[in-house]
Amino acid sequence: MDKSSTLLVHYDKGTPAVAKEIKEALEGNDVEAKVDAMKKAVMLLLNGETIPQLFITIIRYVLPSEDHTIQKLLLLYLELIEKTDSRGKVLPEMILICQNLRNNLMHPNEYIRGVTLRFLCRLKETEIVEPLTPSVLQNLEHRHPFVRRNAILAVMSIYKLPHGEQLFVDAPEMIEKALSTEQDPSAKRNAFLMLFTCAEERAVNYLLSNVDKVSDWNESLQMVVLELIRSVCKTKPSEKGKYIKIIISLLSATSSAVIYECAGTLVSLSSAPTAIRAAANTYCQLLLSQSDNNVKLILLDRLSELKSSHRDIMVELIIDVLRVLSSPNLDIRRKTLDIALDLITHHNINEVVQVLKKEVVKTQSGELEKNGEYRQMLIQAIHACAVKFPEVASTVVHLLMDFLGDSNVASALDVISFVREIIETNPKLRVSIITRLLDTFYQIRAGKVCPCALWIIGEYCLSLSEVESGISTIKQCLGDLPFYSVSEESEPTETSKKIQPTSSAMVSSRKPVILADGTYATQSAASETTFSTPAVVQGALTSGNLRALLLTGDFFLGSVVACTLTKLVLRLEEVQSSKTEVNKTVTQALLIMVSMLQLGQSPASPHPIDNDSYERIVLCIKLLCHRKDEMKKIWLESCRQSFVKMISEKQLREMEELKAKTQTTHAQPDDLIDFFHLKSRKGMSQLELEDQVQDDLKRATGEFTKDENDANKLNRILQLTGFSDPVYAEAYVTVHHYDIALEVTVINRTKETLQNLCLELATMGDLKLVERPQNYSLAPATSMQIKANIKVSSTETGVIFGNIVYETSNVMERNVVVLNDIHIDIMDYISPAVCSDVAFRTMWAEFEWENKVAVNTKIENEREFLDHIIKSTNMKCLTGPSELDGECGFLAANLYAKSVFGEDALVNVSIEKQTDGALSGYIRIRSKTQGIALSLGDKITLKQKGSN
Amino acid sequence: MVVLAASIVGKSGKVLVSRQYVDMSRIRIEGLLAAFPKLVGMGKQHTYIETENVRYVYQPIEVLFLLLVTTKQSNILEDLDTLRMLSKLVPEYSMSLDEEGINRAAFELIFAFDEVISLGHKESVTVAQVKQYCEMESHEEKLHKLVMQSKINDTKDVMKRKANEIDKSKIDKTRGGDKGGLSSMSSLGSGFNDSSISHGRGSSFGSGSMLGMISDVEPISTKAKDRSRSSVTAPPKSSGMKLGKSGKNQLMESLKAEGEDIIEDVKPSSQTRTAVAPPTDPFTLTVEEKLNVALRRDGGISSFDMQGTLSLQILNQDDGFVQVQIETGGNPEILFKTHPNINRELFNSESILGLKRPDQPFPTGQGGDGVGLLRWRMQRADESMVPLTINCWPSVSGNETYVSIEYEASSMFDLTNVIISVPLPALREAPMVKQCDGDWRYDSRNSVLEWSILLIDNSNRSGSMEFVVPPVDSSVFFPISVQFAATNTYSGLKVTGMIPLRGGGGGVTPRFVQRTQLVAQNYEVV
Repeated sequence: MDKSSTLLVHYDKGTPAVAKEIKEALEGNDVEAKVDAMKKAVMLLLNGETIPQLFITIIRYVLPSEDHTIQKLLLLYLELIEKTDSRGKVLPEMILICQNLRNNLMHPNEYIRGVTLRFLCRLKETEIVEPLTPSVLQNLEHRHPFVRRNAILAVMSIYKLPHGEQLFVDAPEMIEKALSTEQDPSAKRNAFLMLFTCAEERAVNYLLSNVDKVSDWNESLQMVVLELIRSVCKTKPSEKGKYIKIIISLLSATSSAVIYECAGTLVSLSSAPTAIRAAANTYCQLLLSQSDNNVKLILLDRLSELKSSHRDIMVELIIDVLRVLSSPNLDIRRKTLDIALDLITHHNINEVVQVLKKEVVKTQSGELEKNGEYRQMLIQAIHACAVKFPEVASTVVHLLMDFLGDSNVASALDVISFVREIIETNPKLRVSIITRLLDTFYQIRAGKVCPCALWIIGEYCLSLSEVESGISTIKQCLGDLPFYSVSEESEPTETSKKIQPTSSAMVSSRKPVILADGTYATQSAASETTFSTPAVVQGALTSGNLRALLLTGDFFLGSVVACTLTKLVLRLEEVQSSKTEVNKTVTQALLIMVSMLQLGQSPASPHPIDNDSYERIVLCIKLLCHRKDEMKKIWLESCRQSFVKMISEKQLREMEELKAKTQTTHAQPDDLIDFFHLKSRKGMSQLELEDQVQDDLKRATGEFTKDENDANKLNRILQLTGFSDPVYAEAYVTVHHYDIALEVTVINRTKETLQNLCLELATMGDLKLVERPQNYSLAPATSMQIKANIKVSSTETGVIFGNIVYETSNVMERNVVVLNDIHIDIMDYISPAVCSDVAFRTMWAEFEWENKVAVNTKIENEREFLDHIIKSTNMKCLTGPSELDGECGFLAANLYAKSVFGEDALVNVSIEKQTDGALSGYIRIRSKTQGIALSLGDKITLKQKGSN
Repeated sequence: MVVLAASIVGKSGKVLVSRQYVDMSRIRIEGLLAAFPKLVGMGKQHTYIETENVRYVYQPIEVLFLLLVTTKQSNILEDLDTLRMLSKLVPEYSMSLDEEGINRAAFELIFAFDEVISLGHKESVTVAQVKQYCEMESHEEKLHKLVMQSKINDTKDVMKRKANEIDKSKIDKTRGGDKGGLSSMSSLGSGFNDSSISHGRGSSFGSGSMLGMISDVEPISTKAKDRSRSSVTAPPKSSGMKLGKSGKNQLMESLKAEGEDIIEDVKPSSQTRTAVAPPTDPFTLTVEEKLNVALRRDGGISSFDMQGTLSLQILNQDDGFVQVQIETGGNPEILFKTHPNINRELFNSESILGLKRPDQPFPTGQGGDGVGLLRWRMQRADESMVPLTINCWPSVSGNETYVSIEYEASSMFDLTNVIISVPLPALREAPMVKQCDGDWRYDSRNSVLEWSILLIDNSNRSGSMEFVVPPVDSSVFFPISVQFAATNTYSGLKVTGMIPLRGGGGGVTPRFVQRTQLVAQNYEVV
């Protein structure tokens, strides 16, 4: 373990402080200057410059100072200074400080005593502490609580030192005595803490003899009590019974922090339903009473932990949890909904849906800015409910269909896809949904919602009346034909003029996007326009929403209209007996299609119709003109079948995910087995969980490093100099989270002693050397290990350069051996991660840095190439395997990874197989910072060539 | 509940100030702080971030972040309190809330942070208190300085006077030959006297005033504290508490029903409480003899002093009217002295201890050792009277010193808990004990070898021990001190009965308890 660091202060290198100046200021009499100089000295120390000569100056001129600030700064200085030599022995000059510390401990100023005692808490050297112990003990009885408080902590820290219990044989007794008479709450807490850490059974005794008073104790003391209980129960589970009462009495404490802690303790001690219920109830109450968002979020985290371990109990509390939805924060609402959705059962589904419905209705009335997003979340939640429990679908679907005309495109889209799924899975609801949809169709304003709605109409209008009303609804929404007439000429040109500038502005600003199937494309102008502002058509109800959208140039919609009409007509043919009626409808449909084509080619449209839509409409026209059974079958049945297949595949995938989730909970061969009847009631398994809590601190302070495989270590050995160089050097490079440790072995190959041998390192990229290099001397043919730590702060390829400098006795000049460069690989920092499709898209749009790498590889199979890229970049493929299936000559996929510093790396691979069999295309990398984009690009360029 | 560090960082991740409260390496804390700005998302409405290992709780202050790094299990409610407290402190100490301002006030901020968090635990303090703690204005220090000043002034005065007198005496000396010598002496002496008196006066004045001040200050502060505390603790005792209690009981019941064993009346285990149980008998009589003996190392007694007391403790006030019948062993060396209130005639004639005024009861009560009734001393004794003699023979042989010790106990007493402590030179390791009757223990801190024998009776009237230490001067091993206790005494004094003065039928003698012991208070071989 490295030396621990106790404080950091920013040090401005622009104004270097010179040791000499500091020295002069310290020797002077001006207090201000002295304070400044002390500060500078501390900063220099922090910056790694140990100025040994300053120490004596400080001893001589600063120690006797009466000024309090100087004394405090002096303590900081002493805290930082190296107190031991290289072998861990305390330096002899440290004795000089001891006297001063003792004087400070007997100082008439209670604050000086206090801060000195606090300093002792941080002291690790038993030899320095030892002579001070009597003075520390005297301070335990000082009149001022500030001193006692710190004295107790000092006793505790010293007692915890190696051999500390020999310095204070009777410390626990004395502290126990002090505790019984202490009045100051803070000192009392510290005393109890001391007993807890140093003599647990005494603390337990004190607690048990004061059981009745616990609820009146100070908040901070109660916290330690809870900590004690947890720790005691961990070692002696049999005594748990004694403490449950205390915990329950503390549940009614006044401080919410204590209540929170209580609930946590209760959960960790017992898994009895009542205990869990009490804890969950407490959490719910806190959720309602605490206004702070952070608290709420963390409480929700706790609840979701409870949920995963004690679902059956949490189910009872679902309504309480849902109450949190009243908070305006979206994150909180999202978490709440997540928890609630997992807790739905047959019994509470109706209640839950009721609450959700109420919330949805509320969002309509309120004018909050995030309402749209919230509504979307609610709709998704209701959707999930309906999927799980199809019987509630009927109660919600109509409510949700009110939102088809919602100005929030996303929530309208959610609604329509929900409707689409329900209508397929719930055949009973078909009729009512279709009627409703036809009634509300005119309200749909979003260009992305319309096609889906039209598809539903086309697929699910089965009876004669439905088909007829379907056709008439579409006609109504299209308005009077033609779309474009000479008489209207003046007006449309105006509108087109109006639209033109906006769309051109859009064209200039538009970026390539990734389509839903992973293809990377510049979007067609038409869909681009529907994406942005005119996506929602305002007003013009008289002319119909479809018409308005068409007039803005959404010809994709036109093709959907044409398909729908074709389907409806084909179906009408089946259900309508009268041939004349059918023919009449056919002609009407044909007229509509033709006018759409006309509009597409006329100057009134903002831009001409795109080829895809044109072809599709023409196909429809052809089909209606020559109706064949074969075609009919394709249009009326195959379409539906593929949709059914999609739905079932989706369900299958969800099932698989669920299975995978349950699989992870299976026990490992070496796991402890809980026998339900023997153990679970006692909450033992939770106690094992508690071990993790203990590790928590260790992990946080970085003490927890996994033992690495030595063989693994040898793989990363790097030769830095040649064998014939006078100094041979090689390094192990170990990459930790935030730092790189270089362990350099240096061997003297000459027959002379090398003096002032120094390993000088320089870095490129976002790397920083932590310490200054030190000088060593190396006897002939001996070797030594030099350690260097390099700090890393972002994911980037870095290079470390260096040389070894040394002197020999006969030659006075310095010799230099230049080392090989050490390259730090970006792959050490990124790890595969998953994010949602939507999140990927938003990040893609947001990130500023893009690196485009042309595909240049010998691999001829698209899948194989993709796998190769995934393997060599250590990223996760977000595009599902089913979407990558099949041989179609091209492939598009999204990859995602996260760095240890929390940065995102996005990659899109779009490749096409050329006729000559070679692959071509681009790999695009996007990230927030330049480093990742560049380094990852380099990596890919390097790897794709070296394909093997 | 552990705060790892409290820091202020810039938006770009520049660490301006950071104070760590647990041991962590520099690279670790810098890494954590460097990772932070990258994790802060914009537009979020909460101000905490959880990573794999730690939790950051932060608060933006203009262009900076005030930040607590905590463990993930840490109590968020408390951490937010701490953060709020720190955020109030930052503007107090920093002139401007930008990087420059923080840099300038970095150390002051660290001092202030230290007051709010100690060893990672939150202290309950207010802003005013922190300011007070950081200003370090101490009343006591001022007083101390005043006292010092007055002492210095006094001493200066004395110095001046003395100088004057010396001058005068010089003049006297020059005037009148040998007579002058004497007078100068006396005047010098008086000068010294004066100085010491004035010195004493000065200090006594100082300390007196100091005491006065303190006693003035203290009641007020404690009163104020009491008041605040009572006002704080009062509310929970309202009727709301009762409701909670009934709920609590329900909780307990159902917990029990579910198989949690709950112990409702929890008693502390009595293992550490070994204090003397309060007396339950109506009368307790204690006969105690204390020995202060110094034996010479080459035999013989250098001093011997035995002091004995008989004390009576009466539990109930109603039983105060009694007399005590005793019986002495008849040792001629021992002289008894009664308490002034005891009727000496009665004692001398009938060996009955009773009050001079029979209508008065003996003082009663539980506290202390009771009332002393009788004292006695024995100062002369020859070697045969000493309960335990110690012989210590250090002998140097080669590179080592062999020390053999033996004890011999007089047959008069059975001694218990005998501990013979031999001082040794400062040794790194325990000495090598070759042979030992009983147990031994080496106390390295005081470098003392303790030889303990639980009981010396007729079976082991003598015993020995031998150990080896590096060569030292033999005087190191002295003085050997001995502790022991015995149940029979030199005086052989016994209480034979209690005579009640009231309550009619004298036939019933009240129940009483008698304790007799001989203790070595200061028993040394020098």
